[in-house]
Amino acid sequence: MKTNNKMIAATLATSFLLTACGGGGDSSDSGGSVTPGSALNAGAGAPTGAQGSCDAATSGVNWDALMTETCPNLSDYNLFVDASDPTSGPTQGGVPYDLSTALFTDYTSKYRFVFVPEGETVGYNPSEALDFPVGTVITKTFALPENTAMRDGAELVIETRLLIHRTDGWTALPYYWSSESDATLAIAGQRLTGLTTINNQGQQITFDYSVPKAADCTSCHSIVPDLAGPEDDREQIFLPIGPKARYLNKDFTYSDGTVYNQLQYWAEGQLLSGLPTDFQSVERAPVFNDETHIASLSDSELNDKARAYLDINCAHCHRADLTLPADYAGPAGSSGVQLEYNRNYADSPGKFGVCKDPVAGGHEDYPYDVIPGNADESYLLFRMSTTDSRHKMPELGRSTVHQEGVQLIRSWIDQLPRASCSPAT
Amino acid sequence: MRQTKTFKKLLLVTAISSGLLLTGCGGDDGKDGKDGTDGQSGDVSTQLGVTTSGFPIPEDAILVAPDAEDGDDITEALSVALFDVPEDAIVVLPKGRFVVTESIVVNSASGLTLTGYGINETILDFASSYGDDAFRFQGGNGITVRDLGVYEAPKNGIKATNVNGIHMTYTATVWEGELEANNGAYGLYPLKSQNVLLENNYAFGSADAGIYVGQSENIVVRNNTAKQNVAGIEIENSTMADVYNNIAVGNSGGILVFDLPGLDKAYGGNVRIFNNNAYSNNADNVGAGVVGMVPPGTGILNLATSGVEIYNNQITDNDTTAVAITSYLLVDDDLASYPANYGTTMGNGWSPTLKNVYMHNNTIARNGGNPQGTLLQPIIDGYTIGMGVTFPAILYDGIGQFLSNTGDLSAFNGLVGAEAAADGVNYNPYAAGDRICLNSNINGNPAPDYAEVNTGLVYPAELADFDPALVDGNGNPLPHLLIDQMINNTYLNCTQPRLAPAVVNFRNNIYGCTGDDLAEAACAL
Repeated sequence: MKTNNKMIAATLATSFLLTACGGGGDSSDSGGSVTPGSALNAGAGAPTGAQGSCDAATSGVNWDALMTETCPNLSDYNLFVDASDPTSGPTQGGVPYDLSTALFTDYTSKYRFVFVPEGETVGYNPSEALDFPVGTVITKTFALPENTAMRDGAELVIETRLLIHRTDGWTALPYYWSSESDATLAIAGQRLTGLTTINNQGQQITFDYSVPKAADCTSCHSIVPDLAGPEDDREQIFLPIGPKARYLNKDFTYSDGTVYNQLQYWAEGQLLSGLPTDFQSVERAPVFNDETHIASLSDSELNDKARAYLDINCAHCHRADLTLPADYAGPAGSSGVQLEYNRNYADSPGKFGVCKDPVAGGHEDYPYDVIPGNADESYLLFRMSTTDSRHKMPELGRSTVHQEGVQLIRSWIDQLPRASCSPAT
Repeated sequence: MRQTKTFKKLLLVTAISSGLLLTGCGGDDGKDGKDGTDGQSGDVSTQLGVTTSGFPIPEDAILVAPDAEDGDDITEALSVALFDVPEDAIVVLPKGRFVVTESIVVNSASGLTLTGYGINETILDFASSYGDDAFRFQGGNGITVRDLGVYEAPKNGIKATNVNGIHMTYTATVWEGELEANNGAYGLYPLKSQNVLLENNYAFGSADAGIYVGQSENIVVRNNTAKQNVAGIEIENSTMADVYNNIAVGNSGGILVFDLPGLDKAYGGNVRIFNNNAYSNNADNVGAGVVGMVPPGTGILNLATSGVEIYNNQITDNDTTAVAITSYLLVDDDLASYPANYGTTMGNGWSPTLKNVYMHNNTIARNGGNPQGTLLQPIIDGYTIGMGVTFPAILYDGIGQFLSNTGDLSAFNGLVGAEAAADGVNYNPYAAGDRICLNSNINGNPAPDYAEVNTGLVYPAELADFDPALVDGNGNPLPHLLIDQMINNTYLNCTQPRLAPAVVNFRNNIYGCTGDDLAEAACAL
C-alpha cells in the first residue's frame, strides 16, 4: 500500500472526476494535450514482436515486456511518468477513462488508463467490450479514500491490475503496492486487514481487503463455452468487462481541463474507429455512484440505474446468449440468473430471479431470488448484503457491503411489477 | 494512523519456474519419506512415492510445499503452483493436514493431475479460509483430482465448471461434526461439464449435495460413499449419467435425480441409477432451496426428470420412503403462474412433469417407519392417519400424468420451443412409452411386515382410476391416495425399454459400462 495525499492537488485542480495530482508535474503528456489531427496514441510506440525484457530501459511504454514477460515490478513496464504514481501521468499515449456506473470494490476509487499501440485503433462495438487491438494494456489502480464523500482527498493506493492483450489473448496481472515507490507482482494475491474508510453517511467502516490472485481474474473476466458434446474442446475466452460503449458514453474531465464525451474524444483522437455517426444511437448507461439520491429517482431512472448496477456488478458472470458469441455464456450463466443491461425484463422476469428457487445455495429465510415487492426476503438482495462467503455476491472483490448499491437494488425490487410470489397486497 | 507507511511484505514471484515455492524434484532420491511414517515401497529410482490408492508419483512432478509440516498454511505455494500450470502437469500436495486460507482457482488446465498422498494422508483444511469454494476449476480438459481430502470449505468443496474431462477419485469432501446448515454447499461439484468421472470418493457432511453433477453430459458416478449430507448424490439437469455401486447412507435423501426450472441446460435425461445401496437416509434436512424440501428419510428421489431407470438397488431403512417419483407440481402447484414464472425454461424443454421412469429389480426393505417432511406432510397424514397404513415404499405423485391425461396441461404445448418439441417434450396424454413403470422389485421385509411394502399414488396415473366423487367445490380433483402392494401392483404395472449406458471419454480412455467396467457385474444387470 502507498499513501496518496492529494490535498494540495485537489485545491488546484479544476476537475471533479479525475484529479491531476502527484506533485504538480503537470506538463502532462496525457491525451488532453494532443493537438487536433494527431492521434491520442501518437508517439506511444508499439510492440516490436521481439522477446521483451523486464530490465529494458525504454523512454515510453515497455511494450515488448508487456507482450511476453510477467515482470516482478509494475515499474518494469514503464506505464507511468512517475513510476510511484499510477493514478495520473500515463506514459506517452496512455488515455484515462472512467465508467458511468462501476463495479463496487470496497469503496475504492479507481484510476483507469488505456494504452493502445501507436498506429492502432480500438474498434467500436455496440454492446460488448470495445475491440481493443493486440498490444493494448489497460491499467486500473484501486485506492481507498479516507472519506468516500471526498474522493479528491487522501487515499491509500492498494493495487494496480493490468489487462494485457497479447497475441494469444488477454492476460491479467495483479500488482500490489508493497512500498511507496513500486508495486510488486502478487500471483497469490494479498490480504490486508483492518482497512477503514468513512462512507458517505459519515460512518466509519472497517474491513479486510483482498487483492485477488492472478488466477481469480479469469473467474470474472471470461466467457465460457456451453460444451455441446463429448468432443467439444473449446476453451473459455478472457475479456475486459468495463470498457463498453455504454459505460464510456459520458463526459470526462481530462487533465488539461477539457471536458468531453469519452467516446467522441477517442474517436476524434483517432483512438476509436467505427463510432456511429448517429451518436444518439450509441447506448448510454446511466450514472450511479454513492452520491446518487435514490429516493428522488423516478421509476424509470431507478430501473435504469439498477439495471446498470446489476449489469456491471453481476452480469460479467450472470449472462448468456444475447450479444455473446454463439454457445458462450458468462461463468454463472448456467445458474439461470442473467442480469445483462440489454436483457428485456418483461420477456422473462425469471432470468432476473423473479420467483425463482435458488439452485446452488439458498437460505431458509429467503425463499426466492427476487420477490417483487419484498426485497427483505429476496435472496439476491441478501447475497449483496452479506459478507458470509457461503452466500455473498459478487464472490470476489467485495469484503464489505455496498450500502448504496444495496439500497438501489432494494428500491428496484420493491417497485418491480408484482409476480406470483409477491406478497398479497 | 492508517497513513503511516506500513509496508506489507510480498513474496516476489518472478516466474513460475522460480524454484522458491515449487520444487521440480529431479533426482533428489531419498527425500521422500521424511516423516518416516508409512512404509511405502522403497523404490524411488523412478518415482517419488505411491499414493495410498496406488498412484505413482513420478520424478518430474511439481511438488507443492514439500517440506511443509502439519498445520502449516500452504495457500501461497498452492496458488502459485496452480497458476498457469503447464500441460499434463502432475501437482503433488504434501502429506499431512494443512491450512488453506483462500479459494484455489485453476483456469483452463489441460491434462492436470492434482494429487495428494491419499484420501486420509493429505488433508486440506479450509476452516479459516477467507474464500468461498475450496477448489474451483474453470475451463480446461482432462483434469484429475485424487488422493486428498478437502475439509470445511466455506462454500463448495471442489467445483469444476465447463471442463471437458473431469475425474475425481479417492477424494474426500468433509464437513466434520453434526450436519449443520452452515456446512458449506456442494462437496464434489462438476457443473456444465462433459465426460465426468467420479469414483472412489467420500462425501460427508454437506448441507447441500455431497456429490452433485449439474447441467453436464456423459457422466459416470461409481463406487463412492456419500454419508450424512442433505443430499447424498444428486444428478441435476444432466444427460447420459450412470450412477452405480455407490453407498448413500445417513443423508436426508440418498440419491436424487432432479430437473429444476430456469437453468441454462433446461433438462436432463437418460439417467441410470443401479446397484447402489441407499440405506438409513434419515438425517434432518438442514438444507435450503429446493434440496431443502427433500423429505428426510428418502432413499431415492426423482423430481421431474424424464428418462430415468432405477434398478437393482438395495433401498432399506429409510424412514419416509424408498423411492419417490414426483412431478414439479408437488413443489409448485400454482399452474396459472407457470407461463409467467417458467415460460422461458419451458420453451427450452423443462417440464414439471416426468415420463418414462422405470423401476425394476430393486430390493426394498424396512422403509416408511417414520415418514416426515413438510413437502409430503398432507400426504403422509392421509396415508398414516387417515388410512392407517404404512407410508408407501414407492410413492408416485401422479399429478403431472393425471393432468396430462385429462388435457388440463395441453395449453402448455404452446410454450414448448421447436427444438424441445422435436426432442419429444409435450403435454399430451401419456403414451405407453411415457409411463412410470414398476415391476420385478423385491420385497425384503420380514414376514410380519411383508404387506407393508406398497406402492402409493397421490393422484391416479390413469383416467380409469379417477374417482369423480373426489373433487373439490370447484371441480378440481382431490388427492386419491391410492395404495397397492409393490409386488404385482396394478397401477404401475408396465415395462419400459432399457436405457443406454453412459460413456465417459477421459484422456482418450473409455470409462463406464461400455469401457473399463465392461466385465463389472453391475453392468450386466
